[in-house]
Amino acid sequence: MAINIQDLVKDYNNGVRALDRLNLKVDKGQIFSLLGPNGAGKSSLINILTTYYKATSGNIIILGKDLSKEPNWVRKQISCVRQRVSIDEHLSLKENMIFQSRLYKIDSQVSKERIESLIKTFNLSKYLKYPTTSYSGGVKRRLDVAMNMVSMPKILFLDEPTVGMDVYSRRAMWKMLLRIREEYETTIFLTTHYLEEAEQLSDTICIMKEGKKLTQGTPSSLRNIIRPNMISITFSSDNKTKKCKDTLDKTSLVNFTTIRGNSVFAGVDNSELAFMVLNKWLLNNNIEFNGIEIVKPSLEDVFLALTSSKSSREE
Amino acid sequence: MLNILWRNIKWRFQNPLSIVVTILQPLIWLVLYSTVAKQAMKNIGVENYTAFILPGIIVLVTFSACSSSGFINFIMKSKGSFSRILIAPVKRSSIVLGQMLEAILLSFMEITLLFIIGLFFSVKIESGLIGITLMILLIFLTAFFISGLTYSISLFLPNEVIYETIMNAIVLPIFFLSSALFPMKNLSGGLAIVVKLNPFTHVINALRNLILRENIFIERIIPVILLFLIMCSISYVLALWKLKVESNQ
Repeated sequence: MAINIQDLVKDYNNGVRALDRLNLKVDKGQIFSLLGPNGAGKSSLINILTTYYKATSGNIIILGKDLSKEPNWVRKQISCVRQRVSIDEHLSLKENMIFQSRLYKIDSQVSKERIESLIKTFNLSKYLKYPTTSYSGGVKRRLDVAMNMVSMPKILFLDEPTVGMDVYSRRAMWKMLLRIREEYETTIFLTTHYLEEAEQLSDTICIMKEGKKLTQGTPSSLRNIIRPNMISITFSSDNKTKKCKDTLDKTSLVNFTTIRGNSVFAGVDNSELAFMVLNKWLLNNNIEFNGIEIVKPSLEDVFLALTSSKSSREE
Repeated sequence: MLNILWRNIKWRFQNPLSIVVTILQPLIWLVLYSTVAKQAMKNIGVENYTAFILPGIIVLVTFSACSSSGFINFIMKSKGSFSRILIAPVKRSSIVLGQMLEAILLSFMEITLLFIIGLFFSVKIESGLIGITLMILLIFLTAFFISGLTYSISLFLPNEVIYETIMNAIVLPIFFLSSALFPMKNLSGGLAIVVKLNPFTHVINALRNLILRENIFIERIIPVILLFLIMCSISYVLALWKLKVESNQ
């Protein structure tokens, strides 16, 4: 087991409880995605696991050792790519990697070989002659990841590595992470608030909110949750939207509803079937609407689906 | 420690403006002010005023260089490398010392430049080689204390604007309330007490004696060395403690 977390609590001085008795297990060699909205406690968890913050209470075992007792040993086994690129722009590409390897006290010959190999793996050769300040955001990010791999960490943490990236760069990053796992057998622990990212990359997904774990499983076992069937009905005014939502909530046609702008978003079991049923229902009840369509869910919808399925199970 | 030092020196030489800015004000004091005030000071028995104010300017340039080094913490925090270094298996003491040493080296570099300029104003170190050795020791202790202090202050404060304001508010009163510009014998009353309580007064006086006099009064220098050894220990422990707090939130 790479990471075993039991009853982890993190309280900040301002009284905010970022993590609330969190339990989590991550197997070795996995890509583990922590999915959650802003404020879910993802960054707090990464900061604790990477020894940057201290936990208020709870136990963390990393690669068989207690994090609170042996933080220095843990530091040698891990590396962390943060949301913000952390390369030193006053150093060249190679100097950045050399600096990182010296931080981890890697033998200079071994470090030289690793740097050459990482430069090839991450396709950075053609940037060697240019100053790092001239790199694009994508190349800087690639160097950031490559640099954090110089120590050959057993666990690589990535805190929202694709935030702010365009679709092309995001997909390039996914390829890079899959390659790291394949070539170096590194356990990858990443946080994200992109559903697609978690689904495409991960062996295991953990969904958390307000410092608590809502669910954990493989992407296929969570498919119903991370890809809920959604229908959107658009109206011409706020009043009509709200009125429809209230009426719809009283029926058993939908699992849950939410309003965004002048549209009612409804979670359903089967989107094709519900599309027809809802169309009929709107016409039969003489409800005026501008449009109806099957839509992709947002993270917010996933949480609604998750909480509604939990509450229906409880009922 | 040497790795951090190497990285910070690289930063310094890639940003030469940070060297120019830190030495500019002390240079103005040394060259312009000493020339302007020379005549007035001759009347109270100071023969070479440039040589007289050089020790005070040394303290001023040390403050300037070390303040700039504290600034690096804010750059590192905003660029993200601060947390990357903190989660690496590096001793916290190495992180602090690496950064402090860069400030000390910069101070020595700028002080050397001040001495070279001083040569054009007939500034000589009368106490010879032993005097120079003692001066190096005194300057090292002063720079070590100030760099530890600025390192801690930079970690205590939320942003670089407040840091700069606080540093300006600290440096100038310390400079003016010392024996940097005037002989102490001309002071009296409350002001004389304040100037005597300022530890930099003593290091300035010790450096001044080594520059202006052939005879070395070691009995006057040893208490200054002891005082600064204690101050260095306090500032280093404070910097180390603050860095540990930073990574144990």
